[in-house]
Amino acid sequence: MSIMEYNGGSVIAMVGKECVAIASDLRLGNQALGISSNFQKIFPVTDRIYLGLPGLATDVTTLQELFRFRVNMYTIKEEREIQPETFAHLVSSTLYERRFGPYFIEPVIAGLSQTPSGGFKPFIAATDLIGCLNFAKDFVVAGTASSKLFGVAEGLWEPDLEPEDLFETISQTLMNAVDRDAYSGWGCVVHVITKDKIITRTLKGRMD
Amino acid sequence: MPAMLSTQPHGLPHPHMQTEQGPQQRQFNPYTENGGTILAIAGKDFSVIAGDTRQSEGYSIQTRYAPKVFRLTDRAVLAVNGFAADGNMFVKKVRQRLEWYRHAHAKDMPLRAIARLIQTMLYARRFFPYYVYNILGGIEEDGSGAVYSFDPVGSYEREACRAAGAAQSLVQPFLDNQIYFKNQTPAPGTSHPTHLPLPTVLKLVIDSFTGATERHIEVGDGLEIYVVLAKGASTQALEGIRGIQETTVTNDGERVFIIQRELKKD
Amino acid sequence: METSFALTGKGYVIIASDTTAARSIVKMKIDEDKVKALGPHLLMAHSGEPGDTLQFAEYVERNIRLYNIRHNYSLSPSAAASWVRRSLAESLRSRHPYSVNLLLGGYDVPAKEPHLYWIDYLGTMSEVPFGAHGYGSYFALSLLDRYHNPDASLEEGIATLKRCIDEVAKRLIVSPSKYTVKVVDKDGVREIEV
Repeated sequence: MSIMEYNGGSVIAMVGKECVAIASDLRLGNQALGISSNFQKIFPVTDRIYLGLPGLATDVTTLQELFRFRVNMYTIKEEREIQPETFAHLVSSTLYERRFGPYFIEPVIAGLSQTPSGGFKPFIAATDLIGCLNFAKDFVVAGTASSKLFGVAEGLWEPDLEPEDLFETISQTLMNAVDRDAYSGWGCVVHVITKDKIITRTLKGRMD
Repeated sequence: MPAMLSTQPHGLPHPHMQTEQGPQQRQFNPYTENGGTILAIAGKDFSVIAGDTRQSEGYSIQTRYAPKVFRLTDRAVLAVNGFAADGNMFVKKVRQRLEWYRHAHAKDMPLRAIARLIQTMLYARRFFPYYVYNILGGIEEDGSGAVYSFDPVGSYEREACRAAGAAQSLVQPFLDNQIYFKNQTPAPGTSHPTHLPLPTVLKLVIDSFTGATERHIEVGDGLEIYVVLAKGASTQALEGIRGIQETTVTNDGERVFIIQRELKKD
Repeated sequence: METSFALTGKGYVIIASDTTAARSIVKMKIDEDKVKALGPHLLMAHSGEPGDTLQFAEYVERNIRLYNIRHNYSLSPSAAASWVRRSLAESLRSRHPYSVNLLLGGYDVPAKEPHLYWIDYLGTMSEVPFGAHGYGSYFALSLLDRYHNPDASLEEGIATLKRCIDEVAKRLIVSPSKYTVKVVDKDGVREIEV
């Protein structure tokens, strides 16, 4: 019995053209027994940053609350919104604080960062459970279906996808990956972050 | 010294003895895992069977060219993945049985019969199995493309597509999406095709292997794609393909072709 | 063996728990009430390690009462659930973690909505339309998937709960003989007979 697989669940994030997408399944389980089909693992951090927290469910909630607190403190002290790069390092150092008794979570970060010229640049990152950062240019995956997500994403993803095409790509990648994973599934949620709006859609999936 | 042992607390050496003569266990592990991935897709009148050519043990690459896909007859191709020594021996034994069949009946064994033969041969070793996953591809007697997939002890099933081996978890969900159109809804008034054309299948096979090579350390080096065409099937899709070779033996039946491609070697 | 169920309906939550207190194979007590009223509109079923369960339930009860006294205001079901969850999550990484599983149901008076939370000893929390703990959950959850209706009347809700109890009685090897069943709705908390 692995702690990382105790509750199940998977998250993926992808880069598009002036947009990013992050998506997860909605299952909460106790090993093979399904408990909930509406367990959110992705949380808004700012208007342009979303954070996915697949792993042990108790730590999903604990870390969500901890990051909410730390980001609020940052906003108050700095009198500005946190940028995705900064937030990624906040995630990394928060996890590394518990180097020898870790939170069993592998976070995924997706957001748009502000450029000096006032534009927006897509940003995604993922870390392991002790905060080792991975800044990828294409897509990042985490959770019990990670190997399946890698395989499908490698086949479907292409550079510079427009928001609607990115939505389709990430949705198909996630749905087909979780359908081959017993610990993930039971519905999906997808967020596409663009410079002027966020598209959030809940997808119906197989319930087995 | 059983009496003495019983007076001594277990695990502690006797003060006057040099070493404790405890029970020793030796074990020989007859199996190893040699990585790699295989894949097969059936079409209406063709079948495509592919495998990479890397052979590894742990983090070491033993060779960059060890074929995992073998032509059995002009209508049957077998891909074997898992423990390479078992795989090679198994193919050898299947070929021997097919030769005996040819001598006895003056014809090649039909595909569905080969599939059943493989089941019997695998199950015969139920308690010391060939540590291999088999995928058999080819043309049935009715001229349709077929894929049969097996587990190491002979459970088998006819399917339209199957991936096996190290990168099965990467490739199979991609195939579910692209071959079975899983999670895709056809436009109103239309339906998904039941069989894909050969050029599309070849593209998907190459995409699957380049994807698996990118993300899996045990997949790479080379790619061998076998194409089996039904009797009278058009070769148009195969014309102009770089480095294609025909390996058909008989004249008036099914035809077998091999396409070789390079994969990343890192 | 220890079992508890809960389900929501139109304006109410029903929580049921068996009444046995067992040690190993011996039933020590058959009339233990394991569904605690934490407030005028809040119920909590607790199960798990004997000793821990009651100790933790009373700790929660007193703290929620203290909040009430200090602020002259009741915690909403969601706020109470969050506080209880955090207590368990902090306990998990302490030297002596509580082994307590909970079903926390309440009626949110200002919002006029029932809420039910499934919480385990790790601090895993999920708001659910119905939930269960213990061996009975393997039978009850399948039944509730089939028969649960969020708009059901109290009578229909009780009928669904009875199906769960009957199924557990029929299929579980060591099935509980008696249950305490409590309801929370706009009128507050009350115990009912099934």
